[in-house]
Amino acid sequence: MSFLRSVAGIILVAKPLTSIGTAQTQRNIKRWVAPTLRELRHRAKKQGPQKPESRSGYVEWNYRSELFAFGKRLQESFQLPVLQAAFTQPSYVHQERERQRKLGIEEVDLQATDNTELAAKGAHIAKAYVEAYLQHSLPKMPSAGQQAIAAYLLSDNTLAYVALHLGTKELIFSAEYPPTTETLAQTLQAVIGALSDSSGVERAFIFVRDFVCTQLNQKDLLDLWKPSEPIKLLTEVCQQRNLGDVEPRLLGDCGKNTVLAAYHVGIYANRQLLGKGFGEDVNTATETAALDALQTLFDMHDNRQPFNFQLQVEPKNVRLA
Amino acid sequence: MSNSHLFLKSGFPRAPLQNGLGRYVCQLQRITLKFCKNNGSSRGMRDFIENHLVDFAKENPGIVVYVKPRRHRTPVLVGEYLNGEREWLNCRNNTKDEISKWIELLKTQNGCSSSLRLRKMWHTDVPSVQGPWTPFLLRSPDANSIEYPNIDASKPLDIPKTATDKLIELFKKQKLEAGDGAEDLLKQKRAE
Repeated sequence: MSFLRSVAGIILVAKPLTSIGTAQTQRNIKRWVAPTLRELRHRAKKQGPQKPESRSGYVEWNYRSELFAFGKRLQESFQLPVLQAAFTQPSYVHQERERQRKLGIEEVDLQATDNTELAAKGAHIAKAYVEAYLQHSLPKMPSAGQQAIAAYLLSDNTLAYVALHLGTKELIFSAEYPPTTETLAQTLQAVIGALSDSSGVERAFIFVRDFVCTQLNQKDLLDLWKPSEPIKLLTEVCQQRNLGDVEPRLLGDCGKNTVLAAYHVGIYANRQLLGKGFGEDVNTATETAALDALQTLFDMHDNRQPFNFQLQVEPKNVRLA
Repeated sequence: MSNSHLFLKSGFPRAPLQNGLGRYVCQLQRITLKFCKNNGSSRGMRDFIENHLVDFAKENPGIVVYVKPRRHRTPVLVGEYLNGEREWLNCRNNTKDEISKWIELLKTQNGCSSSLRLRKMWHTDVPSVQGPWTPFLLRSPDANSIEYPNIDASKPLDIPKTATDKLIELFKKQKLEAGDGAEDLLKQKRAE
């Protein structure tokens, strides 16, 4: 059948040539397009979903330029070999060694260093700076709360989010693609370490402030740290600060003994209103009120003054020991 | 918004990674210029590459520029952003000034703007600084000590005056204006 078709095509093409003598090809509806596309789609479906391709596999890819641009984009000056080491995961070095061994190279002369040391250094710097920054920005908050917020900022998820949005995804040398959350987080720590090696620890501090600490902007601090026993904590805090005994009082209620009951409780200490809260029963309302009072005492309300991200924490206040 | 935009991804204007709070990071990370070396449709692109590309690359060291010649194909601009998006722009028959403008656009936006319908021109994570209104807000303290059911508290706050009330009020007002003489006159009239 196809042979017949091709013969017919030849005849069709040949006809005008013989009759008119101009080299004008006949224009038809291309009846091969739809079946070809259908076949391609069928084959793609049969193969199943494919892994995402890395950008470095493209023809237009220059790793050196990318590294250079990475530093310039962040307005930092990196030493390129150090930066490249920061992007090299241990899994990649291991994979390369294995490959060379399989190829029969006895003496593996791979000089590539991985980012373990840089990451450890960067993690140390980031932790020290974030703690100092929180100490400075949230002076009224107890250390448990500051630690919880620091843990959020230094968690793998936050660091990986920052690393991804700084464009490290394509630059990482890793055995797997796309890089995992841990890989991305470790790379960001290594970049901080590399920056400290290249242009001094103070630039690294500013880097942490500009990209990690800014993740606190417009965050509800109660989401990051919520005291489990607010009434107990409030009692302790009031004793420490000599505010007097904590006394919850009912400010109002409605719909008592119904499904939609609501209680409004205020917490007083020494005849001063510390906080108010609502709840479906008195205990819940008291807890909410205690949380509200704690938010006021610790200065962590939604409507608190925004964090200052231009703040220069003095390096001597950052405990790097 | 027209019908063709119904299924377009929608969103709000957002700065990725709190950009600009700490420092500003240009969100365009690489740009690829694809063009043909002898086709007329690429003329503007070739002019741009000859005259402005080196200056552009010097001014923007944070953007990696790739130039990719290919035969007999339309000139194309491909921008890649830090959020992983990729924007493809057809530059067929564009002049070099038009191409400069398109590149400026790619440089100043933070994602593929042509594939996003903005639902609003602004966005906030904290819609109300003072908190939501509740029925307990600014309530009189007297309301706490009322025993229900209570007749006074059960009345509506605005009962309109009836026609009779209005008439009585009008009559009293007239009486006040006329003084005592009017009262006598009224009595005389009634006696008659």
